[in-house]
Amino acid sequence: MTAGPVSLPARELRSLRQSGELLAALTSRELRLRYQGSFFGWAWSLVRPLALGLILTFALGKVLGTGITAEFLLAGLFPWFWFQSSVQAAAATFVGNGGLLKKVRFPREVLPLSVVLGNTLQFLLALPVLVGFLLWDGYTPTRQWLALPLIFALQLALTTGLAFFVASVTVFFRDLEHIVEVLLNLVFYATPIIYSAGAVPPEYRWVIRLNPLAPLADGWRGILLENTWPGRDIWFSVALTALVVVVGWFTFRRLEDSFADVI
Amino acid sequence: MSSERPVVLDVRGVAKKYRMVAPGTELKTTLLRPFAAWRSRRQRANLWAVSDVSFQVPRGEFFSIIGANGSGKSTLLRLLAGLSKPTRGSIRVEGTISTLLELGSGFHPQVSGRENAVMNGLLVGMTRAEIEALLPRIIEFAGLQEFIDQPMRTYSSGMYVRLGFAIAAFLEPELLLVDEVLAVGDLRFQEKCYEHIAGLQQQGVTIVMVSHDLAAVQRFSDRAALMERGHIVAIGDPKKVVSLHVERLASSSPEIRAALEEHIAADQEGMDRLLAEDPEARAAFAAALELNPEFRRRMDEEAARQHGK
Repeated sequence: MTAGPVSLPARELRSLRQSGELLAALTSRELRLRYQGSFFGWAWSLVRPLALGLILTFALGKVLGTGITAEFLLAGLFPWFWFQSSVQAAAATFVGNGGLLKKVRFPREVLPLSVVLGNTLQFLLALPVLVGFLLWDGYTPTRQWLALPLIFALQLALTTGLAFFVASVTVFFRDLEHIVEVLLNLVFYATPIIYSAGAVPPEYRWVIRLNPLAPLADGWRGILLENTWPGRDIWFSVALTALVVVVGWFTFRRLEDSFADVI
Repeated sequence: MSSERPVVLDVRGVAKKYRMVAPGTELKTTLLRPFAAWRSRRQRANLWAVSDVSFQVPRGEFFSIIGANGSGKSTLLRLLAGLSKPTRGSIRVEGTISTLLELGSGFHPQVSGRENAVMNGLLVGMTRAEIEALLPRIIEFAGLQEFIDQPMRTYSSGMYVRLGFAIAAFLEPELLLVDEVLAVGDLRFQEKCYEHIAGLQQQGVTIVMVSHDLAAVQRFSDRAALMERGHIVAIGDPKKVVSLHVERLASSSPEIRAALEEHIAADQEGMDRLLAEDPEARAAFAAALELNPEFRRRMDEEAARQHGK
């Protein structure tokens, strides 16, 4: 009788710790497998944003003469690739682990979470490279850099919410994985990454305003390069992120019971 | 069965409906011919893989489910494992489940047996410390001492099954669900597995097994259930349930009928041996039952004529 209320928190605690261990094991396995046998290992995750950054610096900055700089591009591209690879990989996670879903009962949420966690770790490992480049280029940390964790947390929440939605719906609607790929390409250009939000003609501003990633991209760059705090439009991003997280989570909850029947 | 033992598994009125895939419901048709797609979606058939199944299993019982291919027994086991939700009815399970459903499907070929064992344990709800304490016994039981740190792609299929069984059986479950997996290992290892399962049963573990191995069902189970087309048609003493199954199969299959009459007429043990040892005969049984309702009618006529003579 008395053991009930006392032992319940201990049990909850154990199950929380257990889920954490499972998440860590899945994430570390995925990261190790991704670069297994390749000589440069995780350094490959730097190559994509760096290569695109260099090409665009040359093409936009030098050839077209827009005056766009490498640090401007890299400060936008690193966070973008974090977002893009998380969402793209999440779309395939339940379908790709179909065998596991059909045979073993485990908390399904660890699959999209491990995808996001793995990509987040890669981003965090790449961040020192970006910061190192900025410091070498003559930038110095200011007190605005204190806002970096906030921008980071906001983008992490948005990514996670979207990952849950995309991963769950793809199980029932396989085309979504390919639609996501195309959409991500479009969103890349609809987000101020290779241009600044201020350069957009007024009649197209609405695109930027409706895009929850735009204040984030602006935020990263403002903090790192321009010593400005995130603008007021960040609140729109916060509201939309909250909505995405709620919708993503409940979509997952609603659909997870039928995963094993459909895959 | 003994009413004083607590019920560990309580299944009441369980049914599972699958919707058959209808042609013309892919995105292309939906976009180009929405009306046709909508109509065919509405008309697609339902398949009741399991219907109106109820039974209770008390603690410490070895309960077997037999039936031809497609009779719904594996679907039922998946429902019991909580991998899929019943369309109707309820399943109540006391205690932790460990499932043997198609061993090794959770294994990743690129990582070592040891890491797969740890991952498997984490997936079924153990902590890392608990698994690591059990690992030496698991490795020893599977006989993989020198291979455990090799990637699993180098394992033979027997090694896969041995590791899978060892993990599932050593995770100290209260209810163990076994699905047709022991058929893959060699005979000596099969024997070892059955011994281990019997040992678990003595410690009070409840076992539910789905199997085509009728000899093993008779030898080990306390009770058995026979499934046909999603229903449980018989439940009780394993010997009686198995012979009912064999009878019904034989009456529907010409090959089996002939084999019985020519070689091992009316010899129940020989029959069991045939079914246990010859997968061809098992497949013929199953196929004949599934595909040939007309043959059953002819058999009945034949039997009636002989009776008349």
